[in-house]
Amino acid sequence: MRHALLFAVPFALGSAGALTAQSIADRVNTVRDGTVRMSFPSRPGVCGDGMGSVWTRNARDESWRACVAGPIRVVIGRDNGTTVSVRTRVGGEWSASGSETDLGRVSPEDAARYFLRLARELSGRNSNDAMSAAVFADAGDISPELARLVRDRDAGVETRKQALFWFGQLDAPTKELVRLYDTLDARSLREHFTFVVSQRHDNEAIDKLIDLARTDRDTEVRKQAMFWLGQTKDPRAIKFFHDVLVP
Amino acid sequence: MRQFVIAAGVIAGVVATNAASLQGQTLSQRIARSDGVVQVIYPSKSSVCGDGKGMIGHLFGQSMYFSGDNTIQGRSNWSSRFCEPGPARAVVSVASGEITRIRAYVGPRTPDERAVTTIDASAAEASAWLSEVVARNESRVASDAMLPLLLADAPEPWSLFLRVARDSSRSRGVRHAALDWLGRGVSARLGIADAGDDTPDDEMRSQAVFALSQRPRGESVPDLIELARSAKHPSARRAAIFWLGQTGDSRAADVFADLLGLR
Repeated sequence: MRHALLFAVPFALGSAGALTAQSIADRVNTVRDGTVRMSFPSRPGVCGDGMGSVWTRNARDESWRACVAGPIRVVIGRDNGTTVSVRTRVGGEWSASGSETDLGRVSPEDAARYFLRLARELSGRNSNDAMSAAVFADAGDISPELARLVRDRDAGVETRKQALFWFGQLDAPTKELVRLYDTLDARSLREHFTFVVSQRHDNEAIDKLIDLARTDRDTEVRKQAMFWLGQTKDPRAIKFFHDVLVP
Repeated sequence: MRQFVIAAGVIAGVVATNAASLQGQTLSQRIARSDGVVQVIYPSKSSVCGDGKGMIGHLFGQSMYFSGDNTIQGRSNWSSRFCEPGPARAVVSVASGEITRIRAYVGPRTPDERAVTTIDASAAEASAWLSEVVARNESRVASDAMLPLLLADAPEPWSLFLRVARDSSRSRGVRHAALDWLGRGVSARLGIADAGDDTPDDEMRSQAVFALSQRPRGESVPDLIELARSAKHPSARRAAIFWLGQTGDSRAADVFADLLGLR
């Protein structure tokens, strides 16, 4: 995904943006019970079938099926004034329904900001779908916001793992991804980090995995790092394995 | 004179083989005539124990197997479990004279309403019959027969397993199963069957062996062979032997033969 996406639109962090994002929240919050739906443009390369399947187009797989690009369609469930569900689709069309509150087409930057905030508040699939909505939005570089969420010790670990995953998938330099490791307090986050960094396939990523396999304070994290090192097929990884086995 | 002794020895060996084969055939025929479920009960190795329901312990070191719908393997503290020494029991499903399944048990007999026939056999009879199944059966039953064969209080069947592992006319699954058991046998013979990941360094070495084993076979097998032959750390060597057995590569059989003192 990271090489396929084009981040042409800068993600402005101004107060005006916050206000408009707030306006999405305000509009959603006017619905006490029921469902709210909205749509916004997707990033280039994000494809869907309108029913839940989402994939990203890249040089390897662009021929095997047609990419139906966007829009991102999100349905939010409300119960007693609280958001209780989020479902994100890419492509397709709304079914005819008279009971949903339709916010229409909203700004992708505002949507990204709103859904990142929602991802932090929710859990499980709802949090995942909210984060997907934010990441798929044609909203420029949201990696700083994702990094902030990764570092946020008050956020749920699963949400932080999702943020870490998407940070790795976006175009932030590997050294910035590597820098996030020092903020990962939970073991499950560091285990997840080994996978995320392994997907970079560059020298810095290999170096970091070797470093983790040698020095992380937790054996399980070290083993995970070693597993993902093995998947890279990098000669330095093979040498490292042999070094480990030398008495 | 020396030639005579050798000839006599050969003749004696042939007679013994034929006798064993005859006994095995007899048992085989009795089983084939018993349509339905047959349990063959025979003496197990003295080290082996079980709960009679599927848990089998101490076949190789502290190893523990579960012979139920699936055979799994692990290690456990058997002192805290109900584990009774012998006998071994091979529960055989027979349909129209053909064996369709064999499951192995050790320990107390449990009332099995499906068992319409019980056959008490000597370890030699059971071993001969199960060896025949391993050697000749073309279905997965040949793999099924390996564990109950290993349980029998009889000579180790490594030569047979080596022949199966090297026989390209046999199914991949059967050859793979033979190699898998051979690997376990090698670890037992080398005294490293219980070499566990007792320290973080052991864990890392085992993980390194696993990572090496996941490379393409052309790269991984030579490394695994070298480690199986000469790794200094028992846990790493045991892991290398295990993963070498999992490759299904014919070179593994040669290494295992060497390490078992066979050829």
